[in-house]
Amino acid sequence: MRYNDRMRTGKHHAHHNHHVAMSYPVSLPSRLYALVLGPLAMVGLIALATYFYPIISTQGTTLTFPVIVEAAMATCFRLAVAYILAALVAIPLSLFVTINSTIEAIFLPIFDVLESVPILVLFPVLVVLFVSTGFLNGAAIAILFLTMLWSIVFTLVGGIKIIPKDIMYAGKIFGLSGFALVRKVILPAIVPQFVTGSILALAQGWNIIIVAEVLHTYLPGGTSAQDLFGIGAILVSASAEAQTNVFLMAVFVMVVIIAFFNFFVWQKLLHFAQRFRFE
Amino acid sequence: MYALTCKNLSLSYPNEPHPAVKDVSFAVFEGEFVTFIGPSGCGKTSILKMIAGLEKPTSGELSAPPDISFVFQFGALFPWLTVFENTALGLRSKRIPEAEIQKIVSRELSLMHIEHFRDRYPAELSGGQKQRVGIARALAVEPKMLLLDEPFSALDPITTAELHRDLMQLWHEKKITIVMVSHSIEEAVGLADRVILMNTGVIKRVFPVNLPHPRHEQGAAFMHEVNQVRHAFFTEI
Repeated sequence: MRYNDRMRTGKHHAHHNHHVAMSYPVSLPSRLYALVLGPLAMVGLIALATYFYPIISTQGTTLTFPVIVEAAMATCFRLAVAYILAALVAIPLSLFVTINSTIEAIFLPIFDVLESVPILVLFPVLVVLFVSTGFLNGAAIAILFLTMLWSIVFTLVGGIKIIPKDIMYAGKIFGLSGFALVRKVILPAIVPQFVTGSILALAQGWNIIIVAEVLHTYLPGGTSAQDLFGIGAILVSASAEAQTNVFLMAVFVMVVIIAFFNFFVWQKLLHFAQRFRFE
Repeated sequence: MYALTCKNLSLSYPNEPHPAVKDVSFAVFEGEFVTFIGPSGCGKTSILKMIAGLEKPTSGELSAPPDISFVFQFGALFPWLTVFENTALGLRSKRIPEAEIQKIVSRELSLMHIEHFRDRYPAELSGGQKQRVGIARALAVEPKMLLLDEPFSALDPITTAELHRDLMQLWHEKKITIVMVSHSIEEAVGLADRVILMNTGVIKRVFPVNLPHPRHEQGAAFMHEVNQVRHAFFTEI
């Protein structure tokens, strides 16, 4: 009996509530959760199995669940540093390029070209550069920074360009100019774009992490000992050495971290950013 | 005494073949209510922007008081600020003490009958309520001249009538000079001392309206004035 029929026939009693709930049609989000959480739970079980049966990798590292979580934290740290740097550069860059139509006409095409250069082309140069200084993390952070930068810049430029003219005029009429206009009008107005740009940037960061931490590929005669300690490097070496359970455990940890940030940070920020949206 | 004088005012926008305003001259007396009407793109909003200092005239002379405030077509409220903070915007820029801001904003919100919405965000307000906040924000800085850019064009007739009544009351109480842009002939004749008809960037006709307020109660006399402007609108434009 469908829920509506139950309501009509008056059989909707308190003690029947759980039966009523069972008869609800499964909504699309519930199906999506089942599709995501089901496989995730299976991967999690395999990952837990690995926790009890640690793998000795070729470099003699014992890869246990805590080690993989530690690697994931190291990766998150690199992503966070690169993201903060990208955001700090992207905000003034997007404000600068939209100052007036002349600056926009000169610089926006340059940004377009720079963005279209495949980031991995620059990676060998960056790796050699940073290896010579001994700052290996710098190579990964630099490549992540460049990957994230343009995502944030272009979403912010789009956001600045759609600020209604009357809003800018209102700012000026009510005494705002220069830095005050930027701080009190432009920056709040681009909060929604900043959040979506950040989500895109970090997604691209996670995408490139499997390359950014595997430095040895770009060094002449390099070995995996030169790779950075991180979840990206573990994924690559586990895949190369056919250690399926390590690979799955690393994927599981990565998915959990990404899902955690999605649910508890980005979804919340997206909701918060609604307040800054123009109707 | 003139509150505003414009002599041979012209404005051209870059990449536009025709000037938005061409050689326009007019003056507004202190405490007068003047309304510009005309079809879209006739230059009436451009004149308002030049008076407000938002656009620089390409040529001509303009003399306006420094204390000018503006009510925008759709309110132009900042969505991230509450009603209170939106209204306090101009006062905060003037670095007025907080206690004074609280007093002024509360007074203006009460005058516009929106005191109880002070902690709401613009997205939680109706079109009429938003426009009331826009007017309260404009009046909070105690301007000598108030510019209104089609402030009631997006509102339903009942809300518009209520806001007309409140605006008239504020105008009488505060004795400020008002320059408004409107699409509606009835609105222009119903509110203004003078109605200026514009087309293609030039002033076509000026209609003084000498009826007492409230004008919609004047029946035939009001309709006669409206019809005069309407006739000019359709014959000269």
